[in-house]
Amino acid sequence: MYPAPIDEYVRPATVSDALAALGRYDEGDAVFVAGGQSLMQAVKARLVRPRCLIDLQAVDGLSGIDAGADGLRIGPMTRYVEIAGHGGLGGAYGALGDAARHVGDRQVRNRGTMGGSLCWNYVAACMPPVAIGLGATLELTAAEGGARSLAAEDFLGGPLETAREENEILTAITIPAAAGNAGSAYKKWGLVTDALPVIGVCVSLEVADGRCAAARVAVGGLATGPQRAGAAEAALAGTVPGDAAAIGAAMKAAAAEIETQQDLWADSDYRKQLIRSLGAEVTRNAFARATGGEAGQ
Amino acid sequence: MSTTTVTVTINGETFEETVPVRMLLVDFIRERAGLTGTHIGCTYEGVCGACTVQLDGEAVKSCLMVAAQADGHEITTVEGLADGSTLSPLQRAFNEHHALQCGYCTPGILMNMDEFLRENPDPSDDDIRHGLVGNLCRCTGYAHIVEAVRSAAKETR
Repeated sequence: MYPAPIDEYVRPATVSDALAALGRYDEGDAVFVAGGQSLMQAVKARLVRPRCLIDLQAVDGLSGIDAGADGLRIGPMTRYVEIAGHGGLGGAYGALGDAARHVGDRQVRNRGTMGGSLCWNYVAACMPPVAIGLGATLELTAAEGGARSLAAEDFLGGPLETAREENEILTAITIPAAAGNAGSAYKKWGLVTDALPVIGVCVSLEVADGRCAAARVAVGGLATGPQRAGAAEAALAGTVPGDAAAIGAAMKAAAAEIETQQDLWADSDYRKQLIRSLGAEVTRNAFARATGGEAGQ
Repeated sequence: MSTTTVTVTINGETFEETVPVRMLLVDFIRERAGLTGTHIGCTYEGVCGACTVQLDGEAVKSCLMVAAQADGHEITTVEGLADGSTLSPLQRAFNEHHALQCGYCTPGILMNMDEFLRENPDPSDDDIRHGLVGNLCRCTGYAHIVEAVRSAAKETR
């Protein structure tokens, strides 16, 4: 596998220069490169045959994590290694570290980015369900200078599909602060250690008066793209931390409502079992983080 | 074929070359800089880790980027680990613990573990094994590699 010939490499310093470079080419002929850990594989396999690589490494303002009272603002060029090693991402944001610490391998985490993963939206990826589970909002900036915000679940479509228009670039990922005591967790299962997820489940919840006041449940590894499990979210509301039967019932509802596929890695029923077992584990971890405890491994 | 000029520092020496845009960094290192210690194990598929080098001190797979992306950056390859003919503590530990047989994967593992030990000066065996996920070795079964990394950690802390 080797890339087909590429006409041009550019390294813009600003968002507007990056969008201007994109505009010089016909649709699909120029691609943004973030960390390139997925894209370069596709370029080498010639699934993607760009005439121009627009490297985003030097674009000002696309990197870093700002934690404030109103939530998190994550630059899309923020790498997994930075998320995994960030000291302030416990509690409500715990799922981010759960995912980032186990993406690929050290070398991939040193270059791969959260924004790159969301814009690629590969079927077996961790950040898409985490973004949906945490209620993230994605800010897209267009060549004409306009910007719009989309909920992660509206941005992320089927595998390799997003709502990003050809003249847009992802400029920020924001995650709202939780209203009260909140916790989130994520876990995936793959064929070998830290492999691509066959199924990954993210749960975030708020606890008030000793009960779950609100929950979000998102599942990745699906042929339909990452999905929310609304019935499981409804079932978790009112649940007391530690009520294993109620948590199990909620995840049984998630497995029932989510359409799972059969492929080389797992059959449909096995995926449903993974949703139940991983879902129960991450729900326990999310409760633990919401109530000030330690999440299990 | 379209070309671009790439200037990188490899092991302290500056290389300026005009290369095809599509040239992968691993080929720049091997064919233009002539440093063949960096290996290609899986025909550029990004899965074996044999091409691991350090980009600005961080372990990365040099088949997962074009050389142009490294323009202006500093690269360290396995040839840059030793001080003259004096091996680094990690290299010496690989020798003493028989952490290689055919040796093909070794440069990538050394470049990954060299950075790993800077980040994790007192790693558990689990930490070491987790750090090795991106490097395939088909000879050793990893046991001696883990011993060598543990031993190097002890020596350098």
